[in-house]
Amino acid sequence: MAACVKGLDKFTFSLRLIRNLQLQNERYLSTSLCRSAPESNADPPRFIPPSKPVIIDKTQPEASKRKFLSPEFIPPRQRTDPVKFSMERKDMIRRRKVLDIPEFYVGSILAVTMADPNASGKVNRFVGICIQRGGKGLGATFVLRNIINNQGVEICYEVYSPRIQKIEVLKLEKRLDDNLMYLRDALPEYSTVDPDMKPVNYSHTGEVPVNKIKVRMRPKPWSKRWERPNFDIQGIRFDLCLTPEQMAHAQKWAKPWEEYDMLKEYDTSQLEKEIFLEVQQEMNK
Amino acid sequence: MAAWSCRFLLQRGTRLISLRAAAESPVQLVGCVRTYMRKNEPWQRHEWTEGSRRVGLVAVKLGMAPIWTTTGERHVVTMLQVQDCHVIKYLPKEEYDGCTAALIVGGKNVSPFYRSESELEMFRNAGVPPKQKVTTFKVSDNALIKPGTPLYAAHFRPGQYVDVTAKSIGKGFQGVMKRWGFKGQPATHGQTKTHRRPGASGPGGDPAKVFKGKKMPGKMGNTYITAHGLKIWRVNTKHNVLYVHGSVPGHRNCLLKVRDTALPTRSSTLLNPPFPTYFSEEEADLDEDLYDDNLFFHTEPSLTLT
Repeated sequence: MAACVKGLDKFTFSLRLIRNLQLQNERYLSTSLCRSAPESNADPPRFIPPSKPVIIDKTQPEASKRKFLSPEFIPPRQRTDPVKFSMERKDMIRRRKVLDIPEFYVGSILAVTMADPNASGKVNRFVGICIQRGGKGLGATFVLRNIINNQGVEICYEVYSPRIQKIEVLKLEKRLDDNLMYLRDALPEYSTVDPDMKPVNYSHTGEVPVNKIKVRMRPKPWSKRWERPNFDIQGIRFDLCLTPEQMAHAQKWAKPWEEYDMLKEYDTSQLEKEIFLEVQQEMNK
Repeated sequence: MAAWSCRFLLQRGTRLISLRAAAESPVQLVGCVRTYMRKNEPWQRHEWTEGSRRVGLVAVKLGMAPIWTTTGERHVVTMLQVQDCHVIKYLPKEEYDGCTAALIVGGKNVSPFYRSESELEMFRNAGVPPKQKVTTFKVSDNALIKPGTPLYAAHFRPGQYVDVTAKSIGKGFQGVMKRWGFKGQPATHGQTKTHRRPGASGPGGDPAKVFKGKKMPGKMGNTYITAHGLKIWRVNTKHNVLYVHGSVPGHRNCLLKVRDTALPTRSSTLLNPPFPTYFSEEEADLDEDLYDDNLFFHTEPSLTLT
C-alpha cells in the first residue's frame, strides 16, 4: 500500500509538471498567435482602455441615499396662496445650498455651532438630544436638550437662521414618539449627552434605527399629565410610576371618535412627492 | 369660503367668456379698437420733485415670514402680492375735491357677473377687467397716469417706507374688556355677577348724562385701519411681491391699499423713486429680487459676528 501511495505521489507530481508545462506552452502559443495575427491583417487591434479607477472620497460626509423630506417643507393646511409657500421654499433651498442641513429626527443627538457675540471666540457649540421639531417654512425650529453641571438646558434653534454655522448629527436615531418633552420629568440620566461625544457611524441607506427605550420618570407631579391619551406617549414606563387605576382614570380623557373624523384627515402623500421632486431638482442644479 | 373657491372657478369662467365674446361679436370688437385708436397716445411724464405725491398700489396679503439682518437680528415681514393692479380712472381736481387730483386704482380681477352696470361701465372705459377692490389715491398734478396702465410691485423699492390700509378682521359684537381694554372686576372676593362689566359710565349729577362717544360694548373690527411707517425689505419683480416689515391689518388673502408714507421723518428715504410709476417696457433690466442693504439673503455664507 505505501509503495502504491508513493508511486501515486510521484505520478501526481509528474502530472502537475506536465499540466504546468502544457499551460506554459499554451501561453506561449497564445501570445505567439496574437503576435502573428496582426502582422497578417491590415488594421491594428482595437484599443481597450483600462477601466476607470473608482474614487471613494472619505473626507466629505457621505450624501444620504434615503428618500427624506424635512418636515418644514410640507405646508400646513391653511387657506394660504401656494405662491407664498413656493417663494419660501426657494429661500430655504438657497440656504440649504450654503449650509448643509443633515437629515435628523426627534431623538437624534446633534451638535450645533452658532455665532455668538458674547462668547469667547465668537462661536459657541452645543450638543444635545433633539426633543422637538416645530414650525413650517423658514421659521422651522428644533429644540436640543442636555444636562450640564447638573442643570438641564434646552436651546431652541431656528434651522434657517444665518447665525448657525454648522449642524452635525452625532447619532442618528428615532424614538417611539415625535415629541420628547417628557424628558423634562424623566430621570436626568436619559437627557445627559456627553459634550465631547464622537460621531457614531450610521448607514445612509435603509431604515433609520428606532430606539425602543422606555424612560423611567421622576415621582409625580409632572409638568404635564403625560399619561393622558391626547399626548399618546409610548416611550414612558408607566407601570413603574402609575397604578392601573390611575391609568384607567387617564383613559377617561380618551377621544376614540377622533380616528374616524374625516374632516381632520390631512393627506400629505401627494404634496410630499411633488415637493420632494422639486427640492431634489433644485438642490442638484 | 365662497370667495376662496370662486377664484379658481373664475379662471375657467373668464376664458369661456372671452371665447364666447370673440365668437359672437367680432365686428363689435373691431369697432372698439377703432374708437380707442384716437385716445391711444401716452400721457406726459414728469420728473420727481420734492412734495409731489405719487400713486399707490392695491395688494393681496399672502402671509408672514421671518427675515434676518446682516447683524443677526430677526424680524418678521408680511408678504404682499400685487395682483392685476390697474389705473382705472382719472379725476381732475375740480371733480374730486377742488384741491388735489385723484386717480382711481383697482386690485384683483374678479367675475363681472356680480358687479353693477355702472361699475362695469367704468371698467370698460378703462379697458380693464372688473376688479375686487377700487380705491382713490390723492395725487399731485405731475404724477398723473393714463387709465389702463398696469402697476407693478417694482413701483416701491427696498428701503422705502409705506402706509398700509386694510379692513381689520371682524370680531363681531364684543364686550368692553376686549374692545376697549377695560380692566373689569375681580373674579372673587364677593363680586356678584360682575366680572367683565364696564362699571361706571361717567360723572354724576352735574352733567346728568352720558357723554357722546362713551366707550361701550359693540361691533369690533371690520373697519379700515392704517399701519404707518412700514419698511420695505425686499421686492420680488417676478411674482410682484413686497416684503413689508411687521404686521398689517386684515386676514390672509385680503386686499390692502399701499401708499408712500405720510410720516415726515421717513420722507427722506423717498429719493428718486420710479415716477410716476414703474414701467416694465422701459426698465426691463431689474433683477428678479431687490434687497435692502441690511437684509441677509440666503445665498450668502453664514454670519460670523465680530
